[in-house]
Amino acid sequence: MELVMAITTGLLFAVAVYLILSRSVLRIILGTSLLTHGVHLLIMNMAGLKRGSAPLISEDTMSYTDPLPQALILTSIVINFGVTAFFLVLAYRANQTLGTDDLEKLRGGDENE
Amino acid sequence: MNNLIVLPLLLPLLSAIILVFLRKQVAVQRSISGISALLNIVIAVILVGQIQSDGIQTLYMGGWIPPYGIVFVADMFAGLLILTASVVGAACIFYSFSSIGEERERMYFYPLVQFLLAGVYGSFLTGDLFNLFVCFEVMLISSYALIVLGGSKRQLRESIKYMLVNILSSALFVTAVAYLYGALGTLNMAHLSQRVAEAGQGGMLNVIAILLMIVFSLKAGLFLFFWLPGSYAAPPAAIRALFAALLTKVGVYALVRTFSLIFYHDPAVTHTWLGWMAGATMVLGSIGAIAYRNVSSILNYQVVIGIGFIGLGLAIATQAAWDGVVFYLMHDMLAKVLLFILGGMLITAAGTEKLLEIRGLIDRYPLIGWLFLGTTLALVGIPPLSGFPGKVMLIRSAFQEQAFVLAAIGLISSFFVLYSLIVVFKQAFWGSELDQEPRTTVPPRSKLLNGTILAVFALLVFLGVNAEWVYEFVAQAGHVIAEPDLYIHAVMKE
Amino acid sequence: MSLLHVAVFIPFLFSAGLLVSRKFLESMHRGWLALPVPILLFVFFLWHIPQVQETPIIHAASWIPSLGITITFNLDGLSLLFALLISGIGLLVVLYSIYYLDEEKKDQQRFYAYLLLFMGAMLGVVLSDNLLVLYAFWEITSIASFLLIAYWYERERSQYGALKSMLITVFGGLAMFAGFILLYVMTGTFSIREIISQVDNITGHSLILPALILVLLGAFTKSAQFPFHIWLPDAMEAPTPVSAYLHSATMVKAGLYLVARCSPIFAMQAQWFWIVSIGGLITLIYGSLKAVRQTDLKALLAYSTISQLGLIMCLLGLGSAAGLQTSTATSLFFAQATTAGLFHLFNHAVFKGALFMVVGIVDHETGTRDLRKLGGLIRIMPVTFTIASIGAFSMAGLPPFGGFLSKEMFFTSVLNIRELNMWSLESWGVLIPVLAWIASVFTFMYSIILLVRTFGGKYDKERYHNKPHEASIGLLVSPTVLASLALAIGLFPALPATWLIEPAMTSVHPHLLTPGEHFHIHIRMWHGWTTEVWMTAALIAIGALLVILYKKRGWVLSGSGEKARFTLNRLYDKTLEGSEYASEKLTSLYMNGSIRQYLIYIFMFFVIALSTTMLALPVFTLDFSDHAPIDGYELAAIVALGLAALAVPLSQNRIASILLTGAVGYMVTLLFVLFRAPDLALTQLIVETVSVVLFLLCFKHLPKLKKENVKISFKMTNALIAAAVGIVVTFIALGVSSGHDIKSISDYFIKESYHLAGGKNMVNVILVDFRGFDTMLEVVVLGIASLGIYALVKLRVEDRGDQTSKLDTNRLAGFVGKRPFNSNDVILMTAARIIIFIIVLFSINLFFAGHNAPGGGFIGGLLTAAAIILFAIAFGMDAVKRVLPVNYRTMTGIGLLIAVLTGAGSFLFKAPFLSHSFGHFQLPILGETELATAVIFDLGVYLSVIGVTLTIILSVGRER
Repeated sequence: MELVMAITTGLLFAVAVYLILSRSVLRIILGTSLLTHGVHLLIMNMAGLKRGSAPLISEDTMSYTDPLPQALILTSIVINFGVTAFFLVLAYRANQTLGTDDLEKLRGGDENE
Repeated sequence: MNNLIVLPLLLPLLSAIILVFLRKQVAVQRSISGISALLNIVIAVILVGQIQSDGIQTLYMGGWIPPYGIVFVADMFAGLLILTASVVGAACIFYSFSSIGEERERMYFYPLVQFLLAGVYGSFLTGDLFNLFVCFEVMLISSYALIVLGGSKRQLRESIKYMLVNILSSALFVTAVAYLYGALGTLNMAHLSQRVAEAGQGGMLNVIAILLMIVFSLKAGLFLFFWLPGSYAAPPAAIRALFAALLTKVGVYALVRTFSLIFYHDPAVTHTWLGWMAGATMVLGSIGAIAYRNVSSILNYQVVIGIGFIGLGLAIATQAAWDGVVFYLMHDMLAKVLLFILGGMLITAAGTEKLLEIRGLIDRYPLIGWLFLGTTLALVGIPPLSGFPGKVMLIRSAFQEQAFVLAAIGLISSFFVLYSLIVVFKQAFWGSELDQEPRTTVPPRSKLLNGTILAVFALLVFLGVNAEWVYEFVAQAGHVIAEPDLYIHAVMKE
Repeated sequence: MSLLHVAVFIPFLFSAGLLVSRKFLESMHRGWLALPVPILLFVFFLWHIPQVQETPIIHAASWIPSLGITITFNLDGLSLLFALLISGIGLLVVLYSIYYLDEEKKDQQRFYAYLLLFMGAMLGVVLSDNLLVLYAFWEITSIASFLLIAYWYERERSQYGALKSMLITVFGGLAMFAGFILLYVMTGTFSIREIISQVDNITGHSLILPALILVLLGAFTKSAQFPFHIWLPDAMEAPTPVSAYLHSATMVKAGLYLVARCSPIFAMQAQWFWIVSIGGLITLIYGSLKAVRQTDLKALLAYSTISQLGLIMCLLGLGSAAGLQTSTATSLFFAQATTAGLFHLFNHAVFKGALFMVVGIVDHETGTRDLRKLGGLIRIMPVTFTIASIGAFSMAGLPPFGGFLSKEMFFTSVLNIRELNMWSLESWGVLIPVLAWIASVFTFMYSIILLVRTFGGKYDKERYHNKPHEASIGLLVSPTVLASLALAIGLFPALPATWLIEPAMTSVHPHLLTPGEHFHIHIRMWHGWTTEVWMTAALIAIGALLVILYKKRGWVLSGSGEKARFTLNRLYDKTLEGSEYASEKLTSLYMNGSIRQYLIYIFMFFVIALSTTMLALPVFTLDFSDHAPIDGYELAAIVALGLAALAVPLSQNRIASILLTGAVGYMVTLLFVLFRAPDLALTQLIVETVSVVLFLLCFKHLPKLKKENVKISFKMTNALIAAAVGIVVTFIALGVSSGHDIKSISDYFIKESYHLAGGKNMVNVILVDFRGFDTMLEVVVLGIASLGIYALVKLRVEDRGDQTSKLDTNRLAGFVGKRPFNSNDVILMTAARIIIFIIVLFSINLFFAGHNAPGGGFIGGLLTAAAIILFAIAFGMDAVKRVLPVNYRTMTGIGLLIAVLTGAGSFLFKAPFLSHSFGHFQLPILGETELATAVIFDLGVYLSVIGVTLTIILSVGRER
């Protein structure tokens, strides 16, 4: 399981990076959200998978899966929700004001000389 | 347990939230944020005093003992940085009164600044790696909002790049945390340090260490600074000053903690990387500093050079070097904030940041001119100003560790600092002013602002002249950095 | 603190005082306020002469003892000699300047402030025993000089000269600084005296040579030695009193001082002897050759200064040969050179000071310094002429003036050096006297030229705009004093010899004396028909001849000065321009503003750094022993996930790619379920939904994804880097999860969360209690994001942003987005009402259940928000505003406030921040509920999440 998950994570990272390196802002944003998915699965994976039942205390269960990573992921999900939202709106404002969503067209640097 | 040490984070947080409700009342917003900034300085002073007398202070959040709960740790290093940062914050807030403009003030400028400060203080104080990530995010999201606040073309363009790089580094940060948790099963820094010591740093832990180095170097602009000059040129001067003085320093702080507290066992690997990166940063920064005839890019590359110079100490990593790092960090934060405020006033006064179009401002703005020169000299490390003691400690420790090349680069880079900035001074302030129609609204001439910049400069002088007195504190900080056990015992009192 | 310290710091005090003196004494010339300082100092140092004869006076005051930096002042013979020059000449210069700058009403106080600043710094340099303190004052002199050269800062030339001198001298200063640090590394002290005392340990140390070279770099740049001399001629843009004081008498001698001061440390190194002597000799010849060709009086003096400094430097070098000797006798023999050097240093200060003042007078009276214009002034200004001739003759080395004596001694020393039986000097060493002699011929020439061309010839008034006349008494006093001094030294050399030179020698050659012993120096006008005398005679004859030829040809060489000054300056200018050009090119090359480039750098660094580290590992074990088994559903889900992910980059349709990303999200949710993480699943589910809505909202307005028609190389690079990153991540993951069994801290949570925190849902307990602080901040992050988004959408400042800006409304109008969602579908509407009601109930339930079952404030809040969004989808954004007239930003604020204050509440109970307590209660409907203060905290979360989500959706949705 862990092996497969590790590979899946790697795949998610790869796709994310590929998207992030492309020109269109939309693709880049999608890339970042894939990246976060990858990271979250990685956290899960690192703590070891299916080491017990869900972390809800009940009398008849002896072993639970590690709750801490789940808490971390939850925090991370929330934060990324905020960040992604902001990034989205930024992209959309930028597109609206600068008239393009192609980052290669947004080099600027005209300030220097 | 000492609830005082959460105040540096709590006060700006609360003021920020309150300011949210006062969106329309600009005057009230100003006074509240001003007062809370000053209060923060007071708190920081008290905190530093406590640390000096009673040693490292800790607070177990919610009373949960480490390593299980989140713990705040205030050692002298954190204390001094908080003190310096609070001064920087106050300076920027006072500067923004006369420079930021009503519209931004009505659009949550002050709350955002306070949130950012909260994030910065939190990063200095937390003793928990994942909580460090969260504090970073508080700081970063505020910085995103601030850098684009106003939505001018340039801001929008640069913000996208800035955000993208930081989203990436944050993702990598969490990745590193995941690996660390997988390897060591804990998040508390002191506990991590213990477990690294048990497990032995060789093997995968080195890889994770390098990953963390990449993450924090991205934040600090150590070698991976490509994002910095462009994005720092975008926002208004007050925000620029805040960023230049604080944000990268948080990254530096994280680097120092990581490689002094947790991953100090295998310098052959980690610190070699740091050394190369520091050297490269100084070289590229120096080259960049003389590359453009544009005030803001010249200033931005000063930030890069400064980071590289501190990186030098990071790579040497002896007690003496740590002292140097602490002292130089304090100096650099203050000097940079003053430099950027003066730069902003200069640009406003001239109505352009194209250096070749500025002349002879000294007659109309003597104060700005002379302080600019003074700050330049401080940054070069001309005694008896604040840059001198830190520079002596760093260069000396480099020589003592036979790191001659690094030391040489460091000295030469300070020469480039002098050249790039003195050219700005000569060009902008000397000569006879081009008689042109004033391109902008009148430059800020507020008593408060003049008082502020004078006060900050006074601090620069004080740091240099009373270096001995300052050194007592610095040495205490450096001692804790050099002796991880002190930190660990303070946190994990069994 | 001691009198000595006071003496050094008085000038600084006055300097500061002058700057504020702007207010009062408007009428009075600031010079009179400055004058007392040098008088006081001069008297003070004179008064110390006898004492210093016996033993040096040493006083310490601490600055940064922890770094070994103490302000120790050491007034010994050498320091005293310089201190007297600084204060004495300073006194005369200030007096002179009062009359010279009479019309400079504007900012005299600036002039004198700088001048006193310099005076204090220079005293500091020559008195400091601590190398770093010396360095401190050294740099301050450079800065003072920078400010004085640019005193007329609106002139281009002044700025150029100021910058040049600053760059070169500060560069030297930095080198010197490095040298000092090296000395510290070798000896563990910054005190010159202590370093000298342990000189035997450092001779032969591997670092001594670098230190030596670095220190000499400092000395040579400051004392304008070839090839660093180029800044001095440009420094002549300064007002003449400054040139007389800094750039001939004192500051440029700081380098000589440093060499003299440090020769006890370095003299055992042969390199020291060579570099100093040869460097000096070259400078001597070069300067004299250049001086002859100048047409500007000050330029001529500048080059003569360079050459004279070279002469002294050379003498100090020759004198250091004493250090290479074994027997005291021979050492003393060579040490004579040092005597000559110090003596000439003194003479030069005197006559060059006088000459500069004369030039100043000529400039002041005639309005020109151009030798081609000048001439015939002898009748108009006889006094000035007399002074000038004394100065010139002394410089030319003619009897009976001081310069003659020191030149004779110079000849003696260069003749002596042949007897230094090393490096077969006896054979080719004869070159040195020859060169020295040639240089002296040119020295003679330019001295005479200066005199003849300015005062000789016939006078015609046409050449001068303003009618020249003899200068006022005030201007004449100072040069007269100096001229008479030059004569006095010539006639009574014994006085300076015994009172100044002998003690100075003691500090340069401490090893040659047993304690309490003195040098005995006898300087006489006549030694009989020695070689020296013949050399002098010959040089006068030849020199005179050359001058006559020269005149016959109508001063042909004149004017070629400009062309001659060309090369090295050209080098300097080109270096600056070139380096700026090059760095501009280089920087623009990699800092090209393309974020993709930057990301590529970052990813490459990521891959390289990590992979190399991994490859360097001794062992890289992979074991999958403790891996969990994998079953069909999981595999299916994972495959689906992978395919969806891979499909994203391929899809050319923006909606499709958004939905595909959503699909990935849902697959992740599914995996969370499979991995026993209900809370995560719930959260992910809702977040995913809300995000998709947001995506669609925003990208309604984005252009269609055009097929990225980019070069294949572009895609290949991306693919390559992407693959590399993916592989690295995977391998680290496998490596980390292999072979270790450190217990995670989370067992504690599993054990304690119910007893200690009263919650059955560990994840939620961790979130609101164990790591409640994270949660607090995480909600803060959301809040900030929403505020940021609101500002982002609402505020548009078009100008550069440094100036006050105005809300640009017509732009807002310019962008017309249709109401994002507008549906009249009756079924949907009715359905919506019901669903919303259910959802809200459910969300509240979730909220309370949170602590024990999956759920909690965040999920509850998000669900409620989702409900309202659904409502918005059904009835449009405005409907929401009408039905729920809430300011969601305020709501966010309140939520945050509750959350933070619950935490702060624990202050009241003297408990750590965010401490919680809990108990069990009976609630209607919900039944037996266990309530913790954590729940109040969670309520804050709940509210702010609703606020945030709706702020975001509404600000985007209603924007038009």
